[in-house]
Amino acid sequence: MPFHEGLRVTGVRRSFGSVTALAGFDLQVGPGEIVGLIGPNGAGKSTFDRVVAGILRPDAGEVTVGGVDRLRDPRRARGRCGLAAQDVALYPTATARENLTLFGRVAGLRGGALRRGVERVGTDLLLDAVLDRRVAVLSGGQQRRVHAAVAMLPAPPVLLLDEPTVGADPASRLALLAAVRRRADEGCAVVYTTHYLPEIAALGATLAVAVGGRVVARGPVDELLAAARATDLDGLFEHWAGEPPPEPATAGVPARHPQQVHRAG
Amino acid sequence: MPGDAVQDATGPGDAVRDAAGPGDAVRRGWAFARHRAVLLRRSPGPVLVYPVMAVALTVFVEPLMHLVPEPHPPGPPHPPGLRAAAGMVVFCTLLMTGVVGSALVDERGWHTAERLATTPARPLERLVGGALPLLGVLLCQQAAVLATAALLLPGSPAWAAWPAWPGLVGAGLAWSVCVLGLGSLLGAATARPGQLAAVKDLVALTVAGTGGAIVPPAALPTWVRPVTGWSPASWAVRACLGGPGTGGRELLLVGTGAAAFVLAAAVLPRRGPA
Repeated sequence: MPFHEGLRVTGVRRSFGSVTALAGFDLQVGPGEIVGLIGPNGAGKSTFDRVVAGILRPDAGEVTVGGVDRLRDPRRARGRCGLAAQDVALYPTATARENLTLFGRVAGLRGGALRRGVERVGTDLLLDAVLDRRVAVLSGGQQRRVHAAVAMLPAPPVLLLDEPTVGADPASRLALLAAVRRRADEGCAVVYTTHYLPEIAALGATLAVAVGGRVVARGPVDELLAAARATDLDGLFEHWAGEPPPEPATAGVPARHPQQVHRAG
Repeated sequence: MPGDAVQDATGPGDAVRDAAGPGDAVRRGWAFARHRAVLLRRSPGPVLVYPVMAVALTVFVEPLMHLVPEPHPPGPPHPPGLRAAAGMVVFCTLLMTGVVGSALVDERGWHTAERLATTPARPLERLVGGALPLLGVLLCQQAAVLATAALLLPGSPAWAAWPAWPGLVGAGLAWSVCVLGLGSLLGAATARPGQLAAVKDLVALTVAGTGGAIVPPAALPTWVRPVTGWSPASWAVRACLGGPGTGGRELLLVGTGAAAFVLAAAVLPRRGPA
């Protein structure tokens, strides 16, 4: 039974010099919910992940991860979020198991719990046969699955996955999607960044469309497509990019599974 | 509260703990130490090269030590072979700052530094834990170089005048802590492998050169001699040779290393990807 509050991001702003990456980003993801985060390049998706994971400090706004305020208590918040960013983050000269073991230990797992955790993610992500191989000799798709496995290993309340299926073959893709679905069923709040609408549908996820550093729309995939009179992502982006920016966000607990297309906020 | 106690990863939050206690920090530091040991075992090249260099340089420099006597030896005069070996051990150990630093620079290139920044681990835990296996490596290197030099350059019965073993181990330990701290600082402060290699060479040559580790202090240019006493390499050579003042130099070396570690821990989170 989940005891945490998922993820709440409200009015987050972050700039790099004169470039504004996040311009009032709002996103709430409840326990057990999967949100498919989509948006054109430069929409702020990766910056959002880095802010939530504690790599970047926002210029303004509020971030609560698993019930812990990211800004007021960053160290406690760090243990509550697993991130598999776009760039694979692994030690190439270490084996997949050694990578998992290090990050598991650092997250607080040890002994039998660590061994069981490693075996579980290895099985879930079809990595059993390669766990004892060095990361450097694994294929790109296998490396990416190890990368995702590291994020899932400590079973964090909030999971951020940024294009985790890039380079994956169909079987691996299905395994990864199933693993993500299983984490959500166990109560994990998942933000799944992708450019593939079928993956969002397969996950039973709702959609959040990010444009210009804001979430401009949120709702089920088919309803958002219908509202935008679009058939694909390009159509969606084109539609929402032309809209005026949404009103500032208001606080509130998000719907577990929003049934209506609504403007973000 | 469920998240406070359990260490299993069977559901969200089960493994979540407020891992902020000293025991957690020690466990994380130990995890970094074990992992660094694995990585060192996989790429032992640089660790093996520097001791060989030190022995070779000792053999080359030893004749020079016959020509330049110690002007004011701490206690009884030391045999030339011992002086050459002590200097070269100090110099080549300084070059190991590159190995220490590259561990941090590589982490930025592999993006693992960014991943570690999302964990509860503090930078100092990373630095100190990761340095532990290298501490063992440095001590072994120094022992191997001194022992080999003693075998290759017997010549004088004064080799028996080696400082007492505990003192020698203490000197090696203190110098190693200093080198590990400086290496961590270099790794935290430099952005790319090429930059680190250049800065490391410059720092090692400057510190060892001004400290009289490469050429004896009496043979240094007169304008360098006033700064010799301020170089950590000079403290290390003197600590290695033993004699009066031993203990204070070790403290200076450990203090320098500790300060460098703390500074590196402050710089590390501000570093972007390589």
